[in-house]
Amino acid sequence: MTQKLWLKKLKLDYNSDVRDIVQFGSSIFEDSDPTDLDVGIIFNKIPIKNQLEESQKIKNQLQKQTKLKIDIKSYDFYSLLHKSNFAREGILFYGKSIISGKEFARQFGLMPKIRIKYDLSDLKKKDKVRFNYALSGKQKNYGLLRKYKGRLISPKIIEINPEHERIFLKKLRSITEKLEVEKIFIQQD
Amino acid sequence: MNNEKKEILIKTAKEYFNSGEEEFAKQRYNSALVLYFKALIALTDLHLLQKTKQTPSSHTSRFKICQEKFPEIYNLIDKDFPFYQDSYSHLMSKELVEVIRDDAKIMAKKTETRL
Repeated sequence: MTQKLWLKKLKLDYNSDVRDIVQFGSSIFEDSDPTDLDVGIIFNKIPIKNQLEESQKIKNQLQKQTKLKIDIKSYDFYSLLHKSNFAREGILFYGKSIISGKEFARQFGLMPKIRIKYDLSDLKKKDKVRFNYALSGKQKNYGLLRKYKGRLISPKIIEINPEHERIFLKKLRSITEKLEVEKIFIQQD
Repeated sequence: MNNEKKEILIKTAKEYFNSGEEEFAKQRYNSALVLYFKALIALTDLHLLQKTKQTPSSHTSRFKICQEKFPEIYNLIDKDFPFYQDSYSHLMSKELVEVIRDDAKIMAKKTETRL
């Protein structure tokens, strides 16, 4: 059973105060081996008691989809954005909607992306070649960009999806530490 | 032996709940939440003792028994447990603490315990 619940097109039963059901945390990342799945349920402004009861119903449905333990958090938009919510960035930037199957940020007309700027100037020629092979591939082997649908947006800057951040950084950092990572939101048309 | 366990569970449930009330009155919501949750668990164990003549030895076995035999109670404690776990690092709201307090009261009613 996959850990990527947002790709499963689940038919969940939930009430009209649920604005979204969002998977976030380590299970989002491509190379992860999580012990549990974090899911945030975003509600309209309703009493916490009602939020928790509805969340529990949703948790019971989600738990049938995976052997991993589902860890549920309930929010309204105020508590989601509050500074005391340590999961705020994880949900807003990396979160995947289990309802739409897309990035949670799209609810706000925004597309999250990671930009990695690299500097190969101090590398030996063989390491520059290794770096370029890692990104663009060699002969019949796909590079990271093609494999994970990233793209070179200008010289020395690549743009990738948030869930591929770790896999890119792990590979690229094995060649150079001169990487700058930026998290951005792109306004959708 | 079971009578002794029963007395202990009732005593601890009352003690935790009433200490929770004191902390709640002082607006110390994190402390209140922990105490209400402990009362809830003591009452859950009392319910298990009343129904199965046994008490669980750990949170894991408590959750397992409740999930298999008492799903309504499982949903109650499973819903509240993450807040108990988070209470050392997150600020708990008054409204949330009231939910946990009400759940302890629900279990008190189920077990016919006067808090």
